[in-house]
Amino acid sequence: MAINLKPVDVAVIGLGAAGGVAVLPLARAGLKVAGLEAGTWMDPHRDFHADEVYNNVRRLVSSSPKAQRECPTVRATPSQQARSAGVHPMMNAIGGTSIHYWAQSWRLKPWDFRTRSESIRRYGPNSIPAGSTLEDWPLTYDELEPYYDIIEQEVGVSGKAGNIQGRIDPTGNVFEGPRQREYPMPPLRGAGFTDHMMDAARQLGWKPFRPPAAINSQPYRGRASCVFHGYCSAGGCHVGAKNSTATTTIPEAVRTKNLTIFDKAQVTRIVTDSNGRVTGVNYIRDRKEYFQPAKIVLVAGYTYENSRLLLLSKSKAYPNGLSNNHGQVGRHYFGHWTSGVSALFPYDINVWYGLPAQGATVDEWADDSFDHAGLGFIGGASLHVYTERHPIDAAAMNTYGRAPLFGSAWKKFVHDNAGRVASTYLQTNTFPYETTFLDLDPEVRDPLGDPVCRITAGGVRANEQRALQHAQNKMEEWFRAAGAIEVTKPPANGPGISTHAYGGTRMGDNPETNVVDRWGFSHEAPNLGVLGASVMGSSGARNPTLTLQALAWRTAEHLVKNWKLLAG
Amino acid sequence: MIDRMNSKDFSRRELIQSAAFVPLAALTLSAQQPAEKSALSPEQMKTLVAFIDRLIPHDELGPGAVEAGAQIYIDRVLAGPNANEKASFVQGLEAVDAYAKRVHGAALAELSAEKRDQVLTEMVNEQFFNRARRLTIEGMFSDPYYGGNKNFAGWDLIRYPGPRPAVAAEDQALNVDVKPYRISAYGVKYGH
Repeated sequence: MAINLKPVDVAVIGLGAAGGVAVLPLARAGLKVAGLEAGTWMDPHRDFHADEVYNNVRRLVSSSPKAQRECPTVRATPSQQARSAGVHPMMNAIGGTSIHYWAQSWRLKPWDFRTRSESIRRYGPNSIPAGSTLEDWPLTYDELEPYYDIIEQEVGVSGKAGNIQGRIDPTGNVFEGPRQREYPMPPLRGAGFTDHMMDAARQLGWKPFRPPAAINSQPYRGRASCVFHGYCSAGGCHVGAKNSTATTTIPEAVRTKNLTIFDKAQVTRIVTDSNGRVTGVNYIRDRKEYFQPAKIVLVAGYTYENSRLLLLSKSKAYPNGLSNNHGQVGRHYFGHWTSGVSALFPYDINVWYGLPAQGATVDEWADDSFDHAGLGFIGGASLHVYTERHPIDAAAMNTYGRAPLFGSAWKKFVHDNAGRVASTYLQTNTFPYETTFLDLDPEVRDPLGDPVCRITAGGVRANEQRALQHAQNKMEEWFRAAGAIEVTKPPANGPGISTHAYGGTRMGDNPETNVVDRWGFSHEAPNLGVLGASVMGSSGARNPTLTLQALAWRTAEHLVKNWKLLAG
Repeated sequence: MIDRMNSKDFSRRELIQSAAFVPLAALTLSAQQPAEKSALSPEQMKTLVAFIDRLIPHDELGPGAVEAGAQIYIDRVLAGPNANEKASFVQGLEAVDAYAKRVHGAALAELSAEKRDQVLTEMVNEQFFNRARRLTIEGMFSDPYYGGNKNFAGWDLIRYPGPRPAVAAEDQALNVDVKPYRISAYGVKYGH
């Protein structure tokens, strides 16, 4: 039998990017919080290395055994057999994926919150992608702005504002929504290559800027500034300049003495009573099963795990899974459409060092920054070039048909060209569709016997493909303007498994089409909240972390302000 | 990774108690320890060396894969973290040898450099070629801690200046030759 533990006010499942920030306002308000985390503390000396094999080949900081045992399966359509996705882009650790992420810390645009109504207003009802389940968000940019600001300050984000209360500054992003104030740190310094790309963009008449990052450009709140050593991607920061929740909000919450961390705790079920209220969670630690009673439960796992845990938590009140009496858990899932465009230059661009967040960004071709009339799509992509190139990856470069794949001619080719390649990622505005969803795999189980999450990717997405093609062409234009002699534009990642996974527990006012309300609390179980990108109904042309953190803080603050009502 | 099993065969309690709860730290540490044992037999090693010696040969640009010790890296990963591909890799090596004997009349290691180049050319983009090439590149261009990239031969070849503790703005300028920092991320005892 499960061992009963002392009740707490709030149980937070997962101490990653989302749960790791939500615990801070809760603990500061004096609530007793249990932080249940399947992983444990990582040690910068033992776990973080300037080593491509360690970080990028073996992925020892960006995947964990538990996540791999629960790796989702993927199928294109319901008639196909789902197969293991191979690698799960989730980390079990205190700090979660925020330990190894690229730390790009974007706000969404005001347009992202009202894409549906704005597109209909500007381009007519046919502009909404066929088959999409896109809704306006239940909150506006202005309502989330104060929380973006809190996260930028509490976590620590470097950047340059382009719009402070309507005052436009062309050295920042002129397309961003109005901000109440400047970033707490200046942007990361540019590299020779990113400065060169900024010049090329200006020649095209575009307005490039240095992007925001949760990386210290100067010492911040007792933490060191970035040393640009070139092993940030998929690695942890050995000097603590990457502002994961493990070095920022979680230690701050621990200091209040109101947060107790239960590490290596694998949550298996959320338990409910006959009235449909959540009573606590079951978890396993060191092969023993525990029950942690709580007045409020906040689910803060990775997108795949959030839907999976709810679907596994069946009860009398929720026979199809917790908070799933409307059949919406797992719906409106989508993996971010991205594509890498790469370019070969006829001179050494010297991007070995640095980090993916040290970049130059162009926003002209994202969101609704340009007129889409007649283009056949809405949205677009942000264009972002960056530094950090590792030697194995560099030597394994595309030879562009200019050299054989081995021998002395290949050696000469990589000798000359390995230091002349630039990569970029295009983050496309991605939307949810009827035919893309998550459920439980009826055949594949984890070692506990629980089904893993199954992704049904759905069909072709004409809107996103056109948007991406448009953006790839713009990216090529930018690279060519900077002097590139070869540009490759590979096809997009489909809507299958993704490091940017959204939806499954979408946020919205309508309980028929959404799992959580505008505050992040279940439409069905009143004392259950959900945190993470799983509540987001569209991606924006951005990396998700800052937005999901702002939403998580807002949910936690709402809980504090309405404690009696929600905790019952 | 993925277990296809019928849950009815096991009680939940048994599953909980038997499940492999390997702590993360234990896994990372074991993955990082150099393998003591060898994966490849001396005969297989001979074929591998004959193969990668032509993939990245010694020439006027400097050492090739063999002098850099890429075969040591490959042997270690097949004995350790990549043990699950050892069988298919060995099968590939044996197939190359069989092909060399059948088409060129001798085992790969007995053939001249020109004949071996011909064998490689004939199998470009085949599965084993791609995998052997990838592992050779990993061995030649990884941190010398892993057994390859001896004396930083790989990093010198592509002019990668090496991981350094802190990078100044001038080390990130366009078109500059950054002075190599020839120290393994794991300390000075590796790399020579």
